[in-house]
Amino acid sequence: MATLSEKKTCSERMENFRRFIWNPETKQFMGRTLINWVWISLYYLAFYVVMTGLFSLSLYSLMRTLNPYEPDYQDQLKSPGVTLRPDVFGERGLQIYYNVSDNKTWDGFITTLQTFLTAYTPAAQHLNINCTSDTYFIQDTFDGPNKTKLSCKFTSDMLQNCSGLTDPTFGFPEGKPCLIIKMNRIIKFYPGNGTAPRVDCTYVGDDSRPLEVDYYPVNGTFNLHYFPYYGKKAQPTYTNPLVAVKLLNITRNEEFKIVCRVVGTGIISDNVHDPYEGKVEFRLKIDD
Amino acid sequence: MEEKYGTSISKGLSSARAAEILARDGPNSLTPPKATPEIVKFLKQMVGGFSILLWIGAAFSWISFGIQFAQGAESPFDNLYLGVVLALVVILTGIFAYYQEAKSTNIMASFSKMIPQQALVIRDAEKKELPADQLVVGDIVEIKGGDRIPADIRLIFTQGCKVDNSSLTGESEPQSRSCDFTHENPLETRNIAFYSTTCVEGTATGIVINTGDRTIIGRIASLASGVGNGKTPIAIEIEHFVYLVAGVAISIGVLFFIISVSMRYKILDSIIFLIGIIVANVPEGLLATVTVSLSLTAKRMAKKNCLVKNLEAVETLGSTSIICSDKTGTLTQNRMTVAHLWFDDQIYSADTSEDQTSKYPFDQSSQTWTALSKIVTLCNRAEFRPGQENLPVMKRVVVGDASETALLKFAEVVLGDVMDIRARNKKVAEIPFNSTNKFQLSIHETDDRNDKRFLLVMKGAPERILERCSTIMINGKEEPLDSEKAEAFQTAYMELGGMGERVLGFCHLYLPENEFPDTYPFDTDSMNFPTSNLCFVGLLSMIDPPRSTVPDAVSKCRSAGIKVIMVTGDHPITAKAIAKSVGIISATSETVEDMAKRLNVPVERVDRRQATAAVVNGMELKDMSLQQLDEVLCNHSEIVFARTSPQQKLIIVEGCQRQGAVVAVTGDGVNDSPALKKADIGIAMGIAGSDAAKNAADMVLLDDNFASIVTGVEEGRLIFDNLKKTIAYTLTKNIAELCPFLIYIIASIPMPIGTITILFIDLGTDIIPSVALAYEKAESDIMNRRPRNKSKDRLVNEQLAVYSYLHIGIMQSVGAFVTYFTVYAEQGFLPTTLLGVRVNWESNAINDFEDSYGQEWTKYQRTYLQWTGYTAFFVSITIQQVADLIIRKTRRNSIFQQGLFRTSFLTPRFQYWFVAVPFAILIWVYDEVRKLFIRRYPGSK
Repeated sequence: MATLSEKKTCSERMENFRRFIWNPETKQFMGRTLINWVWISLYYLAFYVVMTGLFSLSLYSLMRTLNPYEPDYQDQLKSPGVTLRPDVFGERGLQIYYNVSDNKTWDGFITTLQTFLTAYTPAAQHLNINCTSDTYFIQDTFDGPNKTKLSCKFTSDMLQNCSGLTDPTFGFPEGKPCLIIKMNRIIKFYPGNGTAPRVDCTYVGDDSRPLEVDYYPVNGTFNLHYFPYYGKKAQPTYTNPLVAVKLLNITRNEEFKIVCRVVGTGIISDNVHDPYEGKVEFRLKIDD
Repeated sequence: MEEKYGTSISKGLSSARAAEILARDGPNSLTPPKATPEIVKFLKQMVGGFSILLWIGAAFSWISFGIQFAQGAESPFDNLYLGVVLALVVILTGIFAYYQEAKSTNIMASFSKMIPQQALVIRDAEKKELPADQLVVGDIVEIKGGDRIPADIRLIFTQGCKVDNSSLTGESEPQSRSCDFTHENPLETRNIAFYSTTCVEGTATGIVINTGDRTIIGRIASLASGVGNGKTPIAIEIEHFVYLVAGVAISIGVLFFIISVSMRYKILDSIIFLIGIIVANVPEGLLATVTVSLSLTAKRMAKKNCLVKNLEAVETLGSTSIICSDKTGTLTQNRMTVAHLWFDDQIYSADTSEDQTSKYPFDQSSQTWTALSKIVTLCNRAEFRPGQENLPVMKRVVVGDASETALLKFAEVVLGDVMDIRARNKKVAEIPFNSTNKFQLSIHETDDRNDKRFLLVMKGAPERILERCSTIMINGKEEPLDSEKAEAFQTAYMELGGMGERVLGFCHLYLPENEFPDTYPFDTDSMNFPTSNLCFVGLLSMIDPPRSTVPDAVSKCRSAGIKVIMVTGDHPITAKAIAKSVGIISATSETVEDMAKRLNVPVERVDRRQATAAVVNGMELKDMSLQQLDEVLCNHSEIVFARTSPQQKLIIVEGCQRQGAVVAVTGDGVNDSPALKKADIGIAMGIAGSDAAKNAADMVLLDDNFASIVTGVEEGRLIFDNLKKTIAYTLTKNIAELCPFLIYIIASIPMPIGTITILFIDLGTDIIPSVALAYEKAESDIMNRRPRNKSKDRLVNEQLAVYSYLHIGIMQSVGAFVTYFTVYAEQGFLPTTLLGVRVNWESNAINDFEDSYGQEWTKYQRTYLQWTGYTAFFVSITIQQVADLIIRKTRRNSIFQQGLFRTSFLTPRFQYWFVAVPFAILIWVYDEVRKLFIRRYPGSK
């Protein structure tokens, strides 16, 4: 089978290219006449305008079908995630490493906690109401102003020794640090099935030594009146309830792996794929 | 001689000596052309096409895996897997293509293994049957009629030996061989018989002087294998396509690499984007699809008697614009058949079709016919081989030369049992045909018991026969042969001769009983019987008739814009007659000579440009310059080359290629192999073809039938159309796969589709529809278009790319993105929230990522949502590809004209399937409108 391609010289190629750019005989610029180019540009302009219009129209009608208060599906949010403050994320996950005698190593943690708790000052919470009931705070109607629902107050003083009010250093210098556990918001999620879920922290892998922990509020529970959450639009001033844990007997100069679970019916904490679902794990090392 | 070759004419070589020489010279067979080692073929598949790009992608993946692993990052294994998947893709498609290629080569390999040839050799003073490849120089071999010459042989003893050198020189007339040295040139001398030619009749003994590759044929064959193999048109097209797509992939990839680096993405991330963009752009499954389509077509063609050696040749045939066809065997039936009779001053035509359906095509009541039929039956030495009584007459094997065979079969069909008639009319004397007499004569007793006369019958060259006649039989009565009747004879003779037919004259004489009694001793040497003043009975003319399927095939070629040129070694008149009867020269067109005759002016004064047809003689061709040949090829649409040598065939092919044509050449002889190689597609004859021709060709016609070529052309065009559809289909989704990356980089939204998902679309869901497109039926105009112009009608042209990328591709992307945004919005992330979230979204440290409704998500929950997004995006591309498939089913016809097909799916969250449906419908409607415009305003840009 014989070869088909004919070799062109370089100058011929250049000439062809020049002719392609501007062909004086047919008055064609890059293969088309100018008027042709105008038409084709107009066509593309119109085409893309129409496509953009269609896209916008689709998104607009999509938005119209959505409920502004809650999403249509919660396929991935069957159970809440749990997070920790302070949240220093190292190569091996959450890690709280510091030296008691070196305040530079724990200043950062304190600032993080203080900043985090600014949302829980009485001033920040003044729009929320005081709740006393220990049951779910179910609201079928919009009782708040501007078609909103009410949210329960959670102020930092509820964290007592870990509120940062009595001890602005959150126990870090004493080697008994306060850590704050937060459960993720999920709309219309009823944790615990009537019993308040609570936080339970243990060493990972080493069951022989009990971990001495003080929980605030007492028993480390999330009060049921903070649930269910009705979404950002219904409860614009809602704040997550918190549980603070104060670790009391941490051996110095040794690294520990600690897990804090939220225990309660309907809260999954054994998903092998998701390390933050229903629990939070972190490493702790306090040096002298 | 004996001394020179160390042999003895009576005893031959000793076995030991022969073994020695065999060890030195090697077996007496042609070395097959060097095959590329399998491993090289395999590796070629691994690095050809897009493979290089994918290898680069894989390498980058592994490099970034290495870097991330060394840095101790969280999930570096994603990149490792991506690299492995990419490598697997390349290897698997490579293995697949290799397997397909190997399969089609195997068909050929099995084909070329033929029954080993035997030769009768004298060794150790004994005659032995040996396989021909065991022959060595110095062997004494015996040859008889019907044998193939086993090596180049110097003849030392001959008896009426004739050889057919057509496979070597193209000359179809058998040539006699003797022991005399007649010419310096070994090709011309009479005392050498050549390897692979056939001994037609007689016997001979000779000394082997050359074996294997050192034979004349061997030298020609090795010359042919020296002609380089170029690229097939489809290979060029695919290369062009690969360059185009690779160019787009690399430039977009690099552009966005620069953009992402300048947008402060990490270099490593930018490399990952680059891989993604390349993977999105490269249609991984396409080359496999092309291979499948080609091999499916090759299979289909094999069923129609076209065996394709090289898969890509399938398409080459479709783009063919000139076919240079042989006459004998390809256009004709390759057997002499009685075509016309002339008796009672009238021409009758006989049935020349393959199956001889009409038994009595002419008036048989005339007494003249009875006399003529008797001569035809009796004055004939040909005989059927015994044991073929059940076969149809036309298929029976006959011992005898071509014209006698024709006459025998003719008589058998019309009269019935010829052998019985001959037995009843015992032959008493015979003079066989020889070139000095130019007649054949025999004397018979008659089967009429009352008639004791002997019947002398004679046939031969008409003018010679007429010379010997004084009377002529008209309506059974002998009438004197006056000048008026002689004139009538001349007219009939000219007319039959003008039809390119071989004419024979027949005459007879009843010998007077008194002069030639029962016991009369006939002596053929002294000719003691009258051979003049005979009674002329009639003429019979024979021709090798065209195959019945050929005229239709030629007219199909013509409407398909393919020029059919006949190249033959035959006489111009015969060639022209056949060309006219099959339509290569159409009824209305004239050659220069025809015009001169009609206008009654000398040939020189005719305007050559007015003549559409031309019959060019080999002698004229020899004196032509290249420009003159080009002029002939350009100016005449209907050309016949007659009396051409195989070397001239090569010149003709080159001439056609100079016109920019894609040339198909048919050939059978060894000497055709250079032309077969030179042609864009060489077609060898399966039955008549020599091994060398089959080796040089790209395709083998199993039935030697020209009509099969036309089927091949149709298949070839169909595959090109269908590949175009497949590519258009495949290219479209590239934009929908590419856009996610671009928007991901620019708008920092969560990744809409993953690299592996793209691979899954390309290699999973898209392959089957692509192959389905290769099965599409031909559009109605496929054989009414001109052959594609190889420089203009590309497989992938600007319009196709622009339409796929910038129209349908954009629509698909919009559809897919609407699906994407729908999924995210319904799960909690409104489109506005998604913009610019990439860094936080992908951060492992953020496990309370807030959505539009205030809910908080862990990293894993987000990743899971992202995967759902991938699936939805994938699904919407697939759904819209269904629309794409529907629109690509036809190039011009509306889908309503071609018919639909059905398909079904299954997934979770079923409603996401339907988001893209309106867009799929939009794509379809848009394309219907486009086709409507194309049909309304054809030819506009």
